[in-house]
Amino acid sequence: MIQVNQLKKQYKEAVVLDVEQLSIPKSECFGLVGNNGAGKTTLFRIMLDLVRATSGSVTIDGQDVSKTENWKATTGAYLDEHMLLAYLTPDEYFSTLRKIYRMSDADLGVHLDKFNELFNEEIIGKKKYIRDLSKGNLKKVGIAAAMMGKPNVVFLDEPFENLDPSSQIRLKKLILEEKEKASTTFLISSHDLNHVTEICDRIVLLEKGKIINDLRDKSAMLAELDAYFTG
Amino acid sequence: MTNVLLGFLVMVLLSYVFGTGIFLPRIIGTLAEGQDPIVVLNSYLIFFFLGEFMYRYFLQTLPVIELESLLHLPIGKARIISMLLIRSFISALSVIAILLFLPSAFQIIAPEYGNSGAVFWIASIVLTSWALHWFMLWFKQRFEDGFIGLIGVFAVLILGVGSSYMGWLNLGELTKPIFDFALTSPIPMAVLAVLMIGTFILCRRFYLDNAYLEDLAEEDEIRFVGQSIGFFSRFGLAGELANLEWKLIIRHKKSRTILMLSSFFLLYGLFFYTQSEYQSEDGGISAIFIFVGVFITGIFMIQYGQQFLSWNSANFDFFLNRKDGIEALVKGKYLLFISISTICFLASIPYVYFGWNILLIHIATFLFNIGILIHVIIYLALWKPKPMDLNKGAMFNYEGVGAAQFLIIIPMMAGPYLIYLPFSLLFNDYVGLLALGISGIIGIFAFKSLSQININRIQSNRYEISSSFRQES
Repeated sequence: MIQVNQLKKQYKEAVVLDVEQLSIPKSECFGLVGNNGAGKTTLFRIMLDLVRATSGSVTIDGQDVSKTENWKATTGAYLDEHMLLAYLTPDEYFSTLRKIYRMSDADLGVHLDKFNELFNEEIIGKKKYIRDLSKGNLKKVGIAAAMMGKPNVVFLDEPFENLDPSSQIRLKKLILEEKEKASTTFLISSHDLNHVTEICDRIVLLEKGKIINDLRDKSAMLAELDAYFTG
Repeated sequence: MTNVLLGFLVMVLLSYVFGTGIFLPRIIGTLAEGQDPIVVLNSYLIFFFLGEFMYRYFLQTLPVIELESLLHLPIGKARIISMLLIRSFISALSVIAILLFLPSAFQIIAPEYGNSGAVFWIASIVLTSWALHWFMLWFKQRFEDGFIGLIGVFAVLILGVGSSYMGWLNLGELTKPIFDFALTSPIPMAVLAVLMIGTFILCRRFYLDNAYLEDLAEEDEIRFVGQSIGFFSRFGLAGELANLEWKLIIRHKKSRTILMLSSFFLLYGLFFYTQSEYQSEDGGISAIFIFVGVFITGIFMIQYGQQFLSWNSANFDFFLNRKDGIEALVKGKYLLFISISTICFLASIPYVYFGWNILLIHIATFLFNIGILIHVIIYLALWKPKPMDLNKGAMFNYEGVGAAQFLIIIPMMAGPYLIYLPFSLLFNDYVGLLALGISGIIGIFAFKSLSQININRIQSNRYEISSSFRQES
């Protein structure tokens, strides 16, 4: 599904990312962990063609992300507020995306229904611009937008950050359900080891731009990560 | 760097004001020959204050921005507010009245009415100006961005210019007695001092009552702001994005100001088309009218287009992340520019009152604008676009402005003449207009390939643009 080959990102002399090979199969929930500055967001940005790779390539469904645009139709992402249109209300934002993805009103309704619990009646139908929402609600809007249009792959950067505990639990449920029903591939970066090990089948540990561990044994993940981060 | 430059600019402007002040008696002497300069001055003072009202409305900044970072400190609210208000008072705007009128007070008033008369007079003027300061702080915070505020400003403008021009009532004559009285008596000065203190108290009380973040942070209510324009939806995805852009313009202070200024500039023609010196007897067209026409029909794209992508700097990744997002974004902007340009053109048709050739000029420049200039502006604006914060005011805010924004002025001024002048000199002015119009029509037919140049430019620079908008480098 997703292939990363000899990927390198360099700012002048400093190498911030150096991933030799990474392959993510369909419907995997892929977790990315690492301390600040390890290169998680940079890796996601390169995979989404927002940042130019110094060398190497990323392909999604066999298409090189820097050369084609078709993959964008089936890839959803929420990395930060730059991906929102903060001067719209959430309703307007979703309806804009509905038109971009050529969905019907009914499709949109079905999609947003899945988020009812997560939104907790604070998002839909409110006369408030996205820029005036709390950080947690902002994130919820972004996540719901990233999952619109039946994407095959969804990138989420720190999805649990700023969410209240109930919302974190609801989000986990939602991701698992979506993975189950639509076999969506998820790429999730997080600092919350408990959550990420709970929902992900595989965790990759990044340190100074390099993959230093690739964990697939669900039972041992948490302990190994704990050991690493305790130092 | 920009601060130093701005400071310098302010000093230069203030010295101009002072220079004008020194020569004011002489200026009045030549403009109104044979009349008593004091009488003339007093009857026109009200227009200075109307002007001051306008520039204060646009330039004066509210001191609430810093409030957020002060409110939690162990300082009394009343003290914070007083401090902020007094800080707002220390500004170039507060000395303009002094610089402009103090020389006159000593040059023409003191000899006739004595030093005390001069002091009473200048004090009355300065106190009025300062009362306006406090009034404006209150007015802007109270009504800003609402319809009422705008209507208020327009009302003042129309009242000021219209009333005397049309002769409904002569404001000058109405307020002249106040300042005449001030020449001989301290009473006006005392009354105006009370007025100034009154406006200060009004302002202070208002700010004190509203010194909560929720009241001062302007959370736009949705209200009238930006409904979709149905017309755009015929154009598919690009139309959808034109609608988005429209909402962006309406919902941010900076872009709203530009939109408002554009409508002001529609009146630009009144300055030029009425001047007799620009009217040529041989039935030709004054060359400067081409520039005026370009400006009137294209002011929005010229002003807004300068920072073409910077307007979307906060959400550029949104467009990058959609299939064909960039193309749709650019086409949407084109659609919006052309639509607004068309509206400006239609709104400028009444200028035909000044002659049919004005209409011809507007048709030719309009075609040139949407056929050619639009692409040129966008092309230049795409040279290293910079991010900017749309929620800050537009006046003296140079965010998002780089060298490119200054360079744009050159093709804007020279471009139309490059086509017009050769034909106008070789044949006649109307052939020049025809050439200008035809070049525009050719541009319209070549729209697809010309706009593609700009789209490709963004595509190939997308990493740099996106990273500069995220303020990474």
